[in-house]
Amino acid sequence: MKKFLTTAFLFCVAVAAFAQGAEPSATASFFAGKYLAHLSLAIGAAGCGLGQGKAVAAACEGIARNPQAAGNIRTTMIIGLALIEALVIYVLVAAFAVK
Amino acid sequence: MEHHASELSKWLTQVLGLSQHSWGVFGHGAPLSVLERYDHLLNALLAACLALLITGVVRARMKQVPGPLQQVLEFVVQGLKDLVGDNIHHHPEKYLPFVGTMALFVFFNNLFGLLPGLSPATSNWNVTLACALVVFLYYNFHGMKEQGFLKYWAHFAGPIWWLAPLMFPLEILGLLSRILSHSLRLFGNIGGEHMVAGIFFGLLPILLPVPLLAMGLFFGLIQTFVFTMLTVIYLSGAVAHEH
Repeated sequence: MKKFLTTAFLFCVAVAAFAQGAEPSATASFFAGKYLAHLSLAIGAAGCGLGQGKAVAAACEGIARNPQAAGNIRTTMIIGLALIEALVIYVLVAAFAVK
Repeated sequence: MEHHASELSKWLTQVLGLSQHSWGVFGHGAPLSVLERYDHLLNALLAACLALLITGVVRARMKQVPGPLQQVLEFVVQGLKDLVGDNIHHHPEKYLPFVGTMALFVFFNNLFGLLPGLSPATSNWNVTLACALVVFLYYNFHGMKEQGFLKYWAHFAGPIWWLAPLMFPLEILGLLSRILSHSLRLFGNIGGEHMVAGIFFGLLPILLPVPLLAMGLFFGLIQTFVFTMLTVIYLSGAVAHEH
């Protein structure tokens, strides 16, 4: 966790330093351009992956404990996964819109 | 989003000798013919015709001992029947034709991404938005028909009367955002899948796209299932009688 926070801090400092050093127009294009879209898609995919992993793990556990309920659990899981996935799809569409 | 005309529309443009011109902002610069610009309509029409043809042929040659194609379609119809019957408790068979039509249309459109020279019409937001709008109008219409106009809309105000001014706008917003989520989910999944397959095909056209095509088949099925499932859930929420 400490390592992660340090990395995140360094990243922020680097971005800030870059923002100060570069021309204003270059900064604007760096932030408004597709890099930010790609970065946001990566963040969105990471969160979506965590959420979907949790959902699938819980569904597997449920099926292992009660195999007779497999059909219902599977259907509910697929709907849940689709709803979670929709969030990262929004980011994907937004990334295309920015690009 | 960059517009890539399907090979079929390019070929048809050449054969029919259609004139190409720039479409301004929406055409992304390159001159396109009408067919190339609106190739999603062509693909959607083809998919609809294919679905009609297959189901029509099986319907006309229905046998007591089913052949392979009839068996597959019987399985599909039975699955849809179970899906609708499990979620809607009041006259579920009434909604089966609509749900089945949407499912078949979306499924055939999704699978068009696997055929060379065609692109899935569902990778264009216009098509999925049209599907989502039709579903939206359908379940609202049936909700009002089943529950009565006032009772259906009063349902959105919530049970506590002094919270109604807060609840009603929020619920209406939620209702409207369903169109967006329902259409964007299908569009993003199929479009993204098609694009990734295209990129991999560009990297190495031999052998590399094969697992992606298999994945495309699977995702097409899953997305059809999700689209149909959400249609049924919205429908069951709209027509449910409160006891």
